Amino acid sequence: MKDKVLIANRGEIALRIMEACELLGLDYVAVYTKEDEESLHVRLAKKKYRISDYRDMNDLLAVADEEKCTAIHPGYGFLSENYRFARRVVKRERPLIWIGPTWEVIRDLGNKLYMKKVAHKLGIPVIPGSVEPIYNEIEAELKAQEILEQAYEEGFEEVSFLVKAVAGGGGMGIEEVKNLEEIRPVFRKVRAYAKRLFGDEGVIIEIKIPLFQHIEVQILGSKHGEYVHFGTRNCTIQSPFRQKRIELAPGFYQMGQYNFDPAKKEAEIIEHSLNLARHFNYDSVGTFEWLVTPEGKYYLMEVNTRIQVENEISAKISFVKNKPVNLLKEQIRVAFEEKLGYSQRDVAFKGMSLEFRLIAEDTKRGFTPLSGVITRFDYKEHPWLTMRTHVPKDKPYTIPTQFDPNLALAIIYGEKFDDLMEKSKQFLNEIVIEGHTFKNEPLVTNIEFLKEKLGDVYKFLSI
Amino acid sequence: MKIDFSHLTQILQRFKAKPYKIYPVLTPHTGKIIEFKIKEGEEVRGPSGKWLEKPGTPLFILEREKNPKLIRAQYNGIAQNIRTDLLNRFVEAGEKVLEIKHPLSQEEIISEVLLNALLVIRAPETARYILSPELGKRLEKEGLGKVSVKEGDELLIMTFMKRETPIFLKERGTYIIYQIYFKPFELVQAGEPLLGLCPVEDLPHLEKIIQRIKAEWSL
Repeated sequence: MKDKVLIANRGEIALRIMEACELLGLDYVAVYTKEDEESLHVRLAKKKYRISDYRDMNDLLAVADEEKCTAIHPGYGFLSENYRFARRVVKRERPLIWIGPTWEVIRDLGNKLYMKKVAHKLGIPVIPGSVEPIYNEIEAELKAQEILEQAYEEGFEEVSFLVKAVAGGGGMGIEEVKNLEEIRPVFRKVRAYAKRLFGDEGVIIEIKIPLFQHIEVQILGSKHGEYVHFGTRNCTIQSPFRQKRIELAPGFYQMGQYNFDPAKKEAEIIEHSLNLARHFNYDSVGTFEWLVTPEGKYYLMEVNTRIQVENEISAKISFVKNKPVNLLKEQIRVAFEEKLGYSQRDVAFKGMSLEFRLIAEDTKRGFTPLSGVITRFDYKEHPWLTMRTHVPKDKPYTIPTQFDPNLALAIIYGEKFDDLMEKSKQFLNEIVIEGHTFKNEPLVTNIEFLKEKLGDVYKFLSI
Repeated sequence: MKIDFSHLTQILQRFKAKPYKIYPVLTPHTGKIIEFKIKEGEEVRGPSGKWLEKPGTPLFILEREKNPKLIRAQYNGIAQNIRTDLLNRFVEAGEKVLEIKHPLSQEEIISEVLLNALLVIRAPETARYILSPELGKRLEKEGLGKVSVKEGDELLIMTFMKRETPIFLKERGTYIIYQIYFKPFELVQAGEPLLGLCPVEDLPHLEKIIQRIKAEWSL
């Protein structure tokens, strides 16, 4: 029987999954909700069903059964890191293939505290902080005191804390605390937020790394115990709410100014990531996120057990047996138990790539997400530019208010750094996004912010 | 106050010409319609009782993932345009299955007319809304038509693109919360009414208007 994939996501990632299915000769079914009717992922899908919510597991499975799908691709966000859903997909009466790591791996690596413990045991450095969830404020204060002393011992000066919801992620549920006296009120605030949003009160405290680069490693594992990596990415440029805005591959610029040997550090970070992947029998695409300090210390932050938004910049600089890579295709292939057909020796890296996230947000007013109607969306095509977007060019598009107002990803390729920067600037000058909000004010986007931040690439930053 | 009696007469005439509202009944999610519980033209009732504890008339059964779900009427009225062709078919979420032709009650007419009379706070964005917790508590205790708010008071919280934004009263003066037009956490389209406020000094005039509607509508 021919395999058929249910695409359980929306927008540009649904489009990229569709494209990967077509490249592999697989059938697919798309889903959408009422507010997404104008999205290109709905227009371009040959077969589609309207559902009540992208998080409604029953709706997704009902459509999968009705269409006799054999696999589910969860994309990113929504249910992609929900191990209960992954488990249900493979354990039900009519089981389906889950295009992602096994549910056990999603569960174990998704639990940041458990992941930290395992990493620590394997000799992988993690950020100094609590290793158990904290539930009361007296304990929180004591713990913070302890972490502070530990940090001084490790040579940190001027330490401040991050109070994080255990169940949080993507910049949600994190608050910074500068003084020990503020721990209690902030702890109460984060705990209340965590309970409201995630239904889990657990809070952890970590030290805040004052200056850092966010480096991540792209891993691919198969069900046959094969592992390769597709190098590193640098995602240091973020919004004040810790959401990524500009990403680059590779993660280190070999010609850049460092107080350490970047090639050596990169190799160490990749090796640690692969060790952790092997320990968990990781068998899909995955991202291992690290913080690197100006002194060359590095700490594992979290593992993302899904395809990431920024996966394609790694694909752009990676060549397998001299051919380009498509990580979504690879992810689907390994889910269907195929062998990789290549090893690390066959992977070569060439050039540099950058991604801009184009978002309708008011960067001058607290990065408020904006809704409204896009009346003009235009950019010039170039051989070095790949646009990933669900926003149509040919008619007005209303930004739905239920989701993040992500409009497009611009992926740019350059042979060398200067060349990449030139093209990136050219792109930002050429792109046109015009529209209005419902209050009839002009719709603003983050293009100006991106222009400003382009000068900060490969720098150590603080948020 | 934005309404006088001649204007009121006009509005009431409009409602008298069409004293009902058509509510579509949509599937809440995907599934198969395995049984219709009503026939074309039958009368149905929405939830009733003091706390709306008596559920509405059963309309049809939607089965998904082996779970049959009974869909009930949310309004009183006549069932019409029933899509019997959907029986035993897989339907998408939000598919229109029938309509309920709902005769407007005196209370509903008042609520609709007051949209023309009150200071109406409308949804700035298509989003989900709740009353600000403090205001919610006061309304629960004292009831509609009793709680006053003034410029700068927090009225509502909008949940929009994963963020919570407070909505404050921008008008000068003191107002009474007179009507609530939304249900908490339900999606409200931009521009739809959320709250109806009455300036304290206009309260006697408003009472007169309501008396007039009651007198006219009981005819």
